[in-house]
Amino acid sequence: MPYAETNPKIYAAGVDVGSTQTKAIILDGAGQIAARSLIDTGANVSRAAERAFMEALASGGLHRDQVAYVVGTGYGRYKVTFGDAQITEISCHARGAWHLFPGTRTVIDMGGQDAKGIKVGPGGEVKDFAMNDKCAAGTGRFLANAAEALGLGLDEIGALSLKARAPVRLSTVCTVFVESDIMSYLGQGKKVEDILGGIHSAIAARTISLVRRVGIEPEITFTGGVSRNLGMVHALQEKLGVRVNVSPESHYIGAIGAALFAAERAGLIRSAA
Amino acid sequence: MAIEAILEQCRALVEDPSSFEAVDRWKAAHPGGRAVGCFPVYSPAELVHAAGMLPVGVFGGGNEIEIAHADSRFQSFICSIIKSTLELGLTGRMKILDGMLFQNICDPARNLASIFKRNFPDMFIEYLHLPQNLGSPRGIEYLAAEYRRVLRALEGWTGQPITDAALRASIGWYNRTRALVRALYQVRAEAPQLLSTVELYTLSRAGVLVGPEAHAQLLEGALATVWDRVVKPKDRLRVVLEGSFCEQPPLGLIEGIEEAGCYILDDDFLLGWRWFSQDVEVDGDPVAALARGYADRSVYSAVKHDLREPKAKHLLDKVRTLKADAVIILAPKFCEPALFDYPLYRKALEEAGILHLFLEFEEKMWIFDRARTEVETFVESMLFD
Repeated sequence: MPYAETNPKIYAAGVDVGSTQTKAIILDGAGQIAARSLIDTGANVSRAAERAFMEALASGGLHRDQVAYVVGTGYGRYKVTFGDAQITEISCHARGAWHLFPGTRTVIDMGGQDAKGIKVGPGGEVKDFAMNDKCAAGTGRFLANAAEALGLGLDEIGALSLKARAPVRLSTVCTVFVESDIMSYLGQGKKVEDILGGIHSAIAARTISLVRRVGIEPEITFTGGVSRNLGMVHALQEKLGVRVNVSPESHYIGAIGAALFAAERAGLIRSAA
Repeated sequence: MAIEAILEQCRALVEDPSSFEAVDRWKAAHPGGRAVGCFPVYSPAELVHAAGMLPVGVFGGGNEIEIAHADSRFQSFICSIIKSTLELGLTGRMKILDGMLFQNICDPARNLASIFKRNFPDMFIEYLHLPQNLGSPRGIEYLAAEYRRVLRALEGWTGQPITDAALRASIGWYNRTRALVRALYQVRAEAPQLLSTVELYTLSRAGVLVGPEAHAQLLEGALATVWDRVVKPKDRLRVVLEGSFCEQPPLGLIEGIEEAGCYILDDDFLLGWRWFSQDVEVDGDPVAALARGYADRSVYSAVKHDLREPKAKHLLDKVRTLKADAVIILAPKFCEPALFDYPLYRKALEEAGILHLFLEFEEKMWIFDRARTEVETFVESMLFD
């Protein structure tokens, strides 16, 4: 019996090639996550896309032929050469966030190299968006630099920042020059948690002002790799005065959105809009 | 010549704005001839041409030159075209030009004229004051007097009189090339798949380097064969692009915007050289005709102060006439006139229910991924809506 008959094409995939990490999500015919993978992107973007997809297939015990449609997204979307279509990460983040939190009207996305504000319509569509420009403030890169300057791991700084009692004020949110602020405060004997509190607060304020360009309406969903940082979630909530949705899948949201578009195009699920 | 060969020739001419090879060739063919750089936006090339010289459009240094000197003369918040134009001068790349013509379009451009005067004493530098009250007949008289002053300065420089007949002939040449460019824009509006925006841009821009006689030939050749092209139209968003009138976006950015999923039906690139929406009269006093043309037949722009009609109305009319789906505002970074106009446009577009995307650009850009992502998302947001 031919392979395709015993293994019908009932899956759809999204591959989100980000600047730092590449994520792949495979959805089944019911729109549920059947498999996933997350790898570092590295210098060879095409290979990262291929590898993430293959790893996701392997983790779900699936064969490539069972996937009916693949959508590539993220900055490396055109390197998803095996994909059937490319859709920008902005559309995919909006779609993915809306899928996980249907009340989402604003998405704050903080990734490895960029930050975005997305205004989302009632059907998960993009109404407006704003992106950072040539500035790493509000990105994972900024936090990684700050962590390094303090001799800490990126995973440690969020929780530590929550212990701040007297957060410092930063004279810059420049990823390069913030190090001299950090050194000055360390020289003054400030506590590490207070320095981290100041860093998270400054970056939250900076990102919120970017997102204000599209207007901030509840519900707000926080996506991208930085959303795993509890300190940033807390800082955003404090400044916005409202609760922010964060999913345990938050760094997969672009890939989930891409996979949903793929599933729609393959006719596996109905269109959202 | 088939359009492909013409386009290739034009692309080679305009790809590196820091090279003035076309001017070298013109001078070789016109021994003793002089070339005058015309800084945007509205430089009356007709006056220079009537003096027997080659008017050359100077639109900065593009993304091929490194800014190593000009930053020491200007603040960091000055737009790129001002700095790169000065860099062209300070690095000797403009030696082929004998003079420069500036106008009062914005403060940095005004100061650039003075900086040129101080740094390049051997160059002929003229500064044209454009009237700020176009509703008054006095504004037109004032502009005519300004044109006459520039004409006298050109005559004093060469020692040769500029006759009315010569000026009428020059107006005639530029009427012809502008009409041909308008005809090509019409092709674009009707069948945008036949001529990409970057192709039309290079066709138009080549004209600022080769003079109207050679430009007319290129344009006529393109117009004669453009309809022979067989290109299937794509399902793309139809947009009007506005805002980049002075500084010119890199060719890669123009290409990227279209490839991201839209057809640009009309734009305001090279605005000063496509200034007149109708022919300038060739009868009567040619100086008065040029001045009336500026007041009544020139297209609106951020640097033309005309209170007779709201600026945004022109943009809305353009969108409606072309049946465009949306507008892309492509403003140069740090450009006050373009950015001042944006709130007016935004309000009018929102009130009219016309979607728009705001993008900023710099001439010194090499990577266009971000702009492309923004345009793609904009296209997706309309297609998926």
